[in-house]
Amino acid sequence: MKKFWALFFIFWPLVALYVCWIAPERNWWFPGEAKSPIGVRIEGLFYLILAIVTVVFIGTQIALGYVLWKGATKSEEKRAYFSHGSHSLELIWTIVPAFVLVFIALYQMDVWAEYRVQSFYPEATKEDGSAAELMARQFEWRIRYAAPGKQLTDEPVDGDLYWVNEVHVATSVPVKMNLRTQDVQHAFFAPQLRLKQDAVPGLIIPVWFEIPEAGDYDLVCAELCGWGHYKMRAKIVAESKPSLNQYLLELQASQNEDGFREPPEVN
Amino acid sequence: MSQTSSSIQIFAVAMPFFFLAGCSESGFESSFVYSDRTLSLMNEAQNGVGDNPGVKELVDQRFGTPQSLKAWQKIPVDFGGTMASLATSPEAGSTVKELTLSFDSSVAVPTTLSVIQFVSGDCAGEVAEVLKWSPETATATLVNALSATPASGDSMSLGGGENLKAGRVLYQRHCSHCHGTSGDGNGPTAEYLYPRPRDYRHGVFKFTSTNDLSKVSREDLSRVLRQGIPGTYMPSFLLLEDVEIHQLVEYVRFLAIRGEFERKLASELSSDFSNSAVQDRVKSGESRNEIVASLSEFMTEDLPDSLSYISDDLAESWHAANEEDALVVPSVPRVPNTLESRRRGRELYLSKTLNCADCHGISGQGNGPQTTIYEKNPSTNELYPEPGLHDVWDNVNQPRNLTQGIYRGGRRPIDLFCRINAGIKGSRMPSFKNVPHEDVWHIVNYVLSIPFEVEPGAAAAAEETEPGK
Repeated sequence: MKKFWALFFIFWPLVALYVCWIAPERNWWFPGEAKSPIGVRIEGLFYLILAIVTVVFIGTQIALGYVLWKGATKSEEKRAYFSHGSHSLELIWTIVPAFVLVFIALYQMDVWAEYRVQSFYPEATKEDGSAAELMARQFEWRIRYAAPGKQLTDEPVDGDLYWVNEVHVATSVPVKMNLRTQDVQHAFFAPQLRLKQDAVPGLIIPVWFEIPEAGDYDLVCAELCGWGHYKMRAKIVAESKPSLNQYLLELQASQNEDGFREPPEVN
Repeated sequence: MSQTSSSIQIFAVAMPFFFLAGCSESGFESSFVYSDRTLSLMNEAQNGVGDNPGVKELVDQRFGTPQSLKAWQKIPVDFGGTMASLATSPEAGSTVKELTLSFDSSVAVPTTLSVIQFVSGDCAGEVAEVLKWSPETATATLVNALSATPASGDSMSLGGGENLKAGRVLYQRHCSHCHGTSGDGNGPTAEYLYPRPRDYRHGVFKFTSTNDLSKVSREDLSRVLRQGIPGTYMPSFLLLEDVEIHQLVEYVRFLAIRGEFERKLASELSSDFSNSAVQDRVKSGESRNEIVASLSEFMTEDLPDSLSYISDDLAESWHAANEEDALVVPSVPRVPNTLESRRRGRELYLSKTLNCADCHGISGQGNGPQTTIYEKNPSTNELYPEPGLHDVWDNVNQPRNLTQGIYRGGRRPIDLFCRINAGIKGSRMPSFKNVPHEDVWHIVNYVLSIPFEVEPGAAAAAEETEPGK
């Protein structure tokens, strides 16, 4: 029976290992391919960490299995002994993980800087300013664009365009948005783009991304923000620059709608 | 919440209904609650006396329960399904297992068919399961023979009530936790919200594109569903499919009409037969038996007329709101948003005749003198405990703070025009329909400029800026 338990605990890590191995190619981990260049790089970091923890996992499980098996096959007659441990072993399992962590910290730095540090943002986002303001609130995303031809300002100005739960962006250029919240914390989460950023009351937090391929992408809230958290879904519509401009013009026209109808001409 | 076991059942003749059963397999029974007005009636008025049904039964007969909704064809709700009539007249007394149907030319012949419910004729109310359906010949073979013999021209509903059934499922998922199963604005999450979720049962919706006397239109309801109401907890449901929005709108109309019907019916009885009225009558010497006898007489002689009047009126008004005539249409296009126009707008805003500032305040902060008065509750004739204006739902009705740039009913110029021209229904914002449309546009221009004012009135006095582009 002791051997059974030893084998039992050796078996499950093997299953976990197999699952980790096949997860990437079967898309079990992510919702499809990463659809933005920065997302591809963030995904690369995820996989790097997956590889590191897999190696660590194999090592610790082999050690665990070895100890279990040794205990299971030991004679009942032999007495257990207590050791105060090994100083050199403790040094090894402290220093090696420390190096691994430092390596991860250094290795991810440029991706982090590009995604989060504004001075490393793509030039285009600095020149064009923000394309839209994403105002999160319980439980929807309110969108504000500048009037066509104008720059988006931090605070609303006359002529701004408004919509809700559907934000249109241009494809193939880096797009920056101002993330804000009107009430509690929310989080911008675009799973296909691999992007996540908290929205914090009182702050305007820029997020940027580039979507090469036109289409609809999910935008959900990833910070439990209240009872209606689950319904805080929106979509990002990526489209070519001309059709984005067209969309904004149409939005402007509908927002200036005055309901007047030309009386039918009398002949 | 699966609807797979739904079936359409019996009822018909004078008031054609479909029974729409569903949801029973989940073991969870939800129910429509009756309004306070109904519950304030004397017991016999609520539950019936002798052969006369009470208010509760009269409502349930027409609208059913959430588990088995009824599609009362009189009310203008798109219940879904297709109407057809029998093309051939089977021989009297023969067992009928095959029916040939005919459709109006405007109706698409359904490609699949599982049940038929007869609405008129000898088989009225009967529900027949269909074994085989051939759309080309419009012939249905039934599983079981009909209990009676139908005649040519008898009308029937195919797949009736689909919209209502689907709408109910969507409503339970997305809406009922705030608006409540009955649409009473009292779902489990409602008590945490300010402002309170809408109670549909008055049949009143605030933000409409229809004139001051009209109900809400379908278009208005779907606009609110898609765009939400900024400044309140009503979120946007933009990502729902068009057909889902349509089904929700129809279900909300159904609940609103049900609530309004119940309310009006109870009002017919409440002056003489409410618990408090009965107490007064007993005090002035009538015996309880006499009162019950007079209730019985009222129910036999007067109530049928009231019922048909109420239902005719509801059918008409809920239908008419969707007609072109009901829309608010400005007679002049929006006046260019110039300094001159905004200045005129501010003058009108402050003028004695319109007196916008009395509620909205001189600087538009929604803090006019009216917000500090104590009002009488019109139904109880007692003062409300809190100061301020009250709406028909008895909540404090805060005049909008116009400096925030949040427009609950939409921010398009036409939306603001409608708010002023038709008022905000149920609230204390009155209709200014007699104000010339050009003046309304001046006010709209001014109001839209308020959020960007450095100080009150500054936008109307400042140098001319680029019009709202």
